[in-house]
Amino acid sequence: MKKTFALLLALTFALFAQTDSIHSQDAEADLLVGVWEPSHGRARVKIDKIADKYYGKIVWLKEPNDPEKGTPKVDKNNPDESMREVALKGYRILKDFTYKGKREWADGTIYDPENGNTYSCVIKATDDNTLDIRGYIGVKTFGRTDVWKRVAVKK
Amino acid sequence: MKNYLLLACLWVFTLTVQAQVTDDDDDIDYGAVELADGSMSKTFANSRILGTSPQRFVSVGWDVQAPYDMTFSPIGSFAEGTAFNDVDQATGRATYTGGFRLNANIPVISRNTLVWQMGATYWDTRYNITNIAGNASGQSVLNALNQNGIRTGGINTTIYKPLSEYQFVLVQASVDMSGDYGLGLQSEVRTSVAAMWGKRPNDRKQWAVGLSRTYRVGAMNYIPIWLYNWTAPNRKWGIEALLPARGAVRYNIDRNSMILAGFELEGQSYRLNTLSETLAAAGLAPGSLEIRRGELRPRLEYMRQLTGYFWLGVQAGYRLNFSYDADVLPGGKEFFRGFFGDQNFAMLNSIGNAPYAQITINFVSP
Repeated sequence: MKKTFALLLALTFALFAQTDSIHSQDAEADLLVGVWEPSHGRARVKIDKIADKYYGKIVWLKEPNDPEKGTPKVDKNNPDESMREVALKGYRILKDFTYKGKREWADGTIYDPENGNTYSCVIKATDDNTLDIRGYIGVKTFGRTDVWKRVAVKK
Repeated sequence: MKNYLLLACLWVFTLTVQAQVTDDDDDIDYGAVELADGSMSKTFANSRILGTSPQRFVSVGWDVQAPYDMTFSPIGSFAEGTAFNDVDQATGRATYTGGFRLNANIPVISRNTLVWQMGATYWDTRYNITNIAGNASGQSVLNALNQNGIRTGGINTTIYKPLSEYQFVLVQASVDMSGDYGLGLQSEVRTSVAAMWGKRPNDRKQWAVGLSRTYRVGAMNYIPIWLYNWTAPNRKWGIEALLPARGAVRYNIDRNSMILAGFELEGQSYRLNTLSETLAAAGLAPGSLEIRRGELRPRLEYMRQLTGYFWLGVQAGYRLNFSYDADVLPGGKEFFRGFFGDQNFAMLNSIGNAPYAQITINFVSP
């Protein structure tokens, strides 16, 4: 009885300890998690961690409705016709980022709903509340950097 | 037994707490929340306009003109307004005019607060001129063109600086060497500069006004410039203009192809290197003999995506001669004639107009 009790207690503490350890290790990596505003200020993107990767979806649009139709904006510029009726709010535009250390996340892609293009992307946190998001093709030289600011929403 | 239950509850509680860490809460009004660093949201005028033709990072092409006649005066001194028919003429027929063209514009800094690009240009124009006859010095210029062709090589830089959400400044500068030189560098370089201030009221419209120092009309000139880029709400139609250098009406056929109908003003001052040295040595025309080539090209262009970020451009139009006269620049120093100057020309030349075509392969911007 005592042995079983001690075993379960040890397991419980081990689980907490492991959790604390993982949280400690991932604290810097999870800096990316949160809600961010691109420089144009017309959308906000929530970045979450799923398994070991980071994904970002649009959670707010300054103009949520299509000015011509009056209906919620959809991904009308998507090269895949079957996706053109999908609502932009909730659309996942950042995919598959992994943490590389030194406040940099890479190996992911960013989708630009304005033109329907998907680019390779690398993210660099310049401070706790600022991200440099660089979309590029092939090599990073051929790209463009946008500065995103964190929105004060609890993770 | 109670202990087991207690531990089981503790175990379940632990897992529940862990699970809650990753739960979503999408009921928040994310638009009502301020930025975390307490700053106000600040946006800048983007350099891009929706729907425009893709910006070319690297463009490799070939340009060719149909045959036309060339008529050159002797090298001398001719006042503005001299009747061309009163001048002793040398003539020839250009059965081939064409060559390779390379343009590159590589971003050095590309951020929402600043865009800085560096570029390079190399245009090679070769001639095949037949039936050369007439005055001796005119013939020598025709022979020099036939033998060496003319080239333009240079570097350029573009800086786009947004001042606010709606305003921006744009500065472009280039340094070129143009002439019939070979691999060796020549001392005469020509500088072109343009500076503009403008507004970008929305994602589909951008305009700017400014001043430029340019060689597009052949000789150096200072002219006001006007940038205007616009796309219709349906993104099918648009205008792309940097007047007076170029302008076009654009029709987007679909996402991957478009047609542009418009014009371009091309020009540069081309030093005829060997001939300049020969004339200077003979004491006939000490200085840099330069052809002030300027031409207007009304044209149709079809652009379509080949694959990924590679686009094909096919252009056809008519090359209208604006200027092919020549000046002798004492010591190679440039002077300003403008539209109203009365300095004499060293040669009065005329070349016929001709249809032309151009094909390019372009690596374009995202």
